[in-house]
Order: sequence, then C-alpha cells, then structure tokens
Amino acid sequence: MAINYNIKTNIPQYEPKNKKPLLTECINVKKYKELKEKILNSNVTKLEKQFLIAAATRHYCFNYSKIADYYAYASPEMQELMEDSALVIIDFNDAIAKGYVKLNKRIEDILEERIGDD
Amino acid sequence: MRNDFAIFIMSYNRAGNIATLRTLEKANYTGKYYIIISDDDPQIDKYKKTYNNKLYIFNKDKIEPFFDTYDNGGSKSCIVYARNYCFLLAKKLGLKYFLQFDDDYIELAYRYPKDGKLKICNIKEFDKIVDITIDFLEDTGALTVAFAQHGDFIGGLNNDFLTTRVKRKAMNSFFCKTDNPFVFSGRINEDVNTYVGLGKIGGIFLTFCDVSLKQKHTQQNKGGMTDTYNEDGTYLKSFYTVLSNPSCTVVAPMGDKHIRFHHRINWNNAVPKIISDKYKK
Repeated sequence: MAINYNIKTNIPQYEPKNKKPLLTECINVKKYKELKEKILNSNVTKLEKQFLIAAATRHYCFNYSKIADYYAYASPEMQELMEDSALVIIDFNDAIAKGYVKLNKRIEDILEERIGDD
Repeated sequence: MRNDFAIFIMSYNRAGNIATLRTLEKANYTGKYYIIISDDDPQIDKYKKTYNNKLYIFNKDKIEPFFDTYDNGGSKSCIVYARNYCFLLAKKLGLKYFLQFDDDYIELAYRYPKDGKLKICNIKEFDKIVDITIDFLEDTGALTVAFAQHGDFIGGLNNDFLTTRVKRKAMNSFFCKTDNPFVFSGRINEDVNTYVGLGKIGGIFLTFCDVSLKQKHTQQNKGGMTDTYNEDGTYLKSFYTVLSNPSCTVVAPMGDKHIRFHHRINWNNAVPKIISDKYKK
C-alpha cells in the first residue's frame, strides 16, 4: 500500500506540558484594564459604566494551552469547575481521537480499493 | 442509502444552474436531497418549475427572530437565514441528520499523501462518505463536522493541515444532527462567527482533511452571495467576527498579488483544548 498515512498522535488532542503554569499566564487582562480605566474616568452614567465594564470582559484573552496545562495539575474540585466552564474539553475514552482514526481507516480502505482499480 | 438523512442545498438566483447537483450525481449519491431557497429569490418561478417537490421555500423575516444579525440592517442576500432554517426543516421532515451544502460545488474528492505528494481522487461512493461522516459526528459529539476545501491544502504536503488532520472549525459543508441544534449568527461570516462563538464555550466544530470540496470562485460566480461580497468586500465581512469575538480575532491583510482584508483567528485564545481523560483526577 503506497498511501503514506502517519498518525502518531491522538488527533486532535492537546498534550499538556509537564509544568504547571501560573494562573496569571492563563489570562491576559491588559485590554480589559485599559478599557475599564477609560470607562471609570468618563462622564457617562453609572448604569452605562456598569454596562460598558461588563462588555469590556469580552476582551479577556484566555490562553487555552496554558489553561490545559494548568488543568493537568489542578485539584479534582478545580478540574471539575474548569470542565463546567468549558475551559478544557475532556475527550472521554479518547472518543474524539479514536473517532478520527476510525474515519481515516475507513477512507483509507476505500482509497486502497480505488487506487488498486486505477 | 439511509433514510434518516438528506442533503439541503442552499441556493440563490441559480435555478437550473446548481453545480452541486451535477457533482453529487458524479459522486453516485443516491440519497435524499432538497433545494432550499427564500421567497424573495428573483428566480422563484424557475426553481418551482425545475425542482418541483425537491424544493423548499422559506421566508427570511420568519427566521430572523431566531438569530442575531449583529447589525441594524443590510442586505438579506445572506446564507445565514437558510442555514438556520435547515434545522427547522430537518425536524419537520423527521430527519435525524442532514448536510448543508452550497449550490456551487464542482468537485468532491479525497485528499491523501502518496509518494511524497498530495494526491486527489474524485469521490465515486458518496453514500459511504455520508455514513462515515455521520459516524464521526456521533463518535466525537461534535455540533457539526465539515469537509475540507481545496484551498485548505495550499503548499501541498507542507501544509500543516496534513499533520493536524483535523481543524477546530467548520465552513461551507455542515453535517448536523437534528436533535443537537445550534444557531448560526451574524449577517455575514456566519460560519466563522459560529465556530468561534460556540467553540469558545465548548461546542465542538471539526473539519477533517481526508475529504475536500471545490467551489466555483466566489467573486466570479454569478448569483449566491456574490453581490454581498462585491458590495462590501471581505473587509466588512471579517469585522462581524471581530465584533462578536474581539479577544481572539483581528482583521489583517491577506493574499499575494491581490491583497484583501480577512479575519485572522488566534486559535490558542479562541477555543478550549481537547485533552485526554487520563489527565482527569
């Protein structure tokens, strides 16, 4: 068979690194802080400020690889809360990874037959 | 061919010129399919005459309350209405699964590495591909699964897609499960808005590299959404995603000779990682 598939890893899983990051590495709040300061120094109404500050949280920048690294070292309770918040997606029984391997194998089987015909 | 599945081909202003139908025929697809148009289509009579009982017509005003356009008005020549209508139609027709297709596909093909090159082979057994992809949808619990597009493979075997094999996005073709619905949002760039917007809260959107489709070139292809793109270019289009997901999306120049603005997603800041359950305590 000449098709060169080479699936070494559990696609599309991320492999956490062997170092627990700081929580401050998991989120960047620079833009949020800039916006918040500007809002607080503005002359808009109190209600408008509340709204704008809530909207500024859209600029929280999460680092999902660091978050996954953190998850791997977190307590069971923290892990559960992180899962509830969809900060990581747990691939139970490697269903996603194995699902792709299965798909790939079935397509490879079709191709083997087809290429053999050509 | 399974009976719980159909392909919805969303069309606009292309009656009698639906390339996707010819392409499905060449791929030996034997299952159900329906043409979806809106009641403001200028060729509505021609569609009725041509496609008869294969045609479903919807009203955009009735769909608009189901999703956020992100704006206060603009052209309704947008596919987002049809995309959201498909979930309602699938339920009405009693389908378990459906596939959303555009009307301008000219090729459905396998992409695979062989002898140091990226090869292409036309699909001739599309019924099997439907079964395989639906199984993948079920196995992964994804909200939707999509085929790759030929443009995803620029650079051939050097393209990262051949290594990652699966992307956390879905564009153009959408395999969906009727009882696991989701909402497409934004008047334009609805696919990107949706996979980023729902992806960041844990929705799984997947594109796999093994099957790929080819469209006619968007801005040379009469009908469809071409008028909308020509009117505003991709500049405005891209900003719809920045509007909804400003923490991980920017608009940046793209291209070689013909420079245009396009959205750029920082994926590490966009969607949570998928990790093995071996890390769960």
